[in-house]
Amino acid sequence: MNGWILAATVELGGAGAAALWGVTTGPPARRVIAQNLTTSAVCPALLLLAQGYGRPSYVDLALLLALLGPVGTLVFARLLSDDLAGDSPSAWALTWAAAALGAAVVVALCVAGDPGRATVKLLVIGALLIGGNLIASRALAGGFRGVAGG
Amino acid sequence: MNRLRLVLLTVGGAGLAALLVAACLRLPDFGGRRHPYGDRAVHASLSRHTANTIASVNFDQRAYDTLGEMSILFAAVLGCVVLLRQAGDERRARPEPAEVARPVRRYALLVLPVALLTGLYVIAHGQLSPGGGFQGGVVAATALHLLYLGADYRALERVRPLGVYETTDSLAVAAYLVLGTAGVLAGTAFLANTLLPYGTFNTLSSGGTVPLLNAAIGMEVASAAVVLLAHFLDQAVEIEETTGERTEGAHER
Amino acid sequence: MSDALTVVVLVLVAAAATAAVAQRDPARQALVLSFLGVLLAALFTVLQAPDVGLSQLAVGSALTPLLIMLSVRKVRRRGRSKEGPE
Repeated sequence: MNGWILAATVELGGAGAAALWGVTTGPPARRVIAQNLTTSAVCPALLLLAQGYGRPSYVDLALLLALLGPVGTLVFARLLSDDLAGDSPSAWALTWAAAALGAAVVVALCVAGDPGRATVKLLVIGALLIGGNLIASRALAGGFRGVAGG
Repeated sequence: MNRLRLVLLTVGGAGLAALLVAACLRLPDFGGRRHPYGDRAVHASLSRHTANTIASVNFDQRAYDTLGEMSILFAAVLGCVVLLRQAGDERRARPEPAEVARPVRRYALLVLPVALLTGLYVIAHGQLSPGGGFQGGVVAATALHLLYLGADYRALERVRPLGVYETTDSLAVAAYLVLGTAGVLAGTAFLANTLLPYGTFNTLSSGGTVPLLNAAIGMEVASAAVVLLAHFLDQAVEIEETTGERTEGAHER
Repeated sequence: MSDALTVVVLVLVAAAATAAVAQRDPARQALVLSFLGVLLAALFTVLQAPDVGLSQLAVGSALTPLLIMLSVRKVRRRGRSKEGPE
């Protein structure tokens, strides 16, 4: 086990347990926030694992999660907009903390690896992850106010 | 007659049980790092210049299994299409235009092409890195539905002529079968990877027919997912039941 | 030593799967299910099966929640229209 995998273990264990607690308890507003933060919790762990195992192709998993995770949150934000209308859920401190975590992991991996196409891919994943996380949070906090019909 | 059936069932069942027990006794130990099948699969995959052994197993060594899985998906989507069709006592209401917050809309329109491209990338690199037709196809189909999430259902309907996707679905299944039959016509076996040169190891055009079969599966899965979601969306957004006491047009929101 | 990672992810998957079954409301179940899907993808990566992990991510992160939530919406709409027109 190297440092990367150790970091992934700690990250996955801590953030995963917190997200599990959030997604299974409390009002719907809290659950969707926890669902959104799952992406930001697991995606850096997948990046760390790819580095720890020395398998650059595993980065594709993180790419897919960074792309589709926020889409999944948009699904809930849109189709649960009636339930969420009462208390527009927002947890900006958590959201920015998750974004900072993603940024830190991406920067660390960029520094550790040789500059090249892999670095560009990492930066794309980081941008998708952080942008998607922020937009999904925005969508949860009343981004779908006018979609009662569809 | 019944007795005969029972005897046949008993004999067949006993034979199967005996074979399974015999197979279980000679299985490799649990959790070992080497596996006789794994070694053979990797060897066969490397000899056919396919970098991703999983793709070689799915689309070359066991391409016949993938044919079965593809037909399961095809039949499942067909079943859903039949079940979710518009019934006689249902009518379609035009979906209302939706107001989505501007950053969300922009994000959806920006990520849509990126996700579509990622789907194609995953399909095209199936023989090189993890991924392949199924994964890429689902990503591409999901990407299209960002139009529903970021705008409204009418925007999605405009870029989604359903007939085209239904035809593509069937054509992709047919393409897989044709590629398989081509092996027979070339004098080897159904779905045997002998049609094309194996190419240079670890390049896009390596692996013989593996990339082609991957592409067929990608087309099939993408259009099947679009057709499936289209019928779910129709039911959830457009189709309403017309009941006797409800007045036409007064549909609740 | 790298077994620690496997154990952590396995425990999380087991807990999330149990929680998904224990939820009563389908919409909440869908939320836990999408969380479980992402965790399963991590588990498959840890077990060196990235192909399966990619399939799980592709299907579990957006497609399955969309299918489930659309069905929930349809059922709720039907329930509301059965109660009588407003």
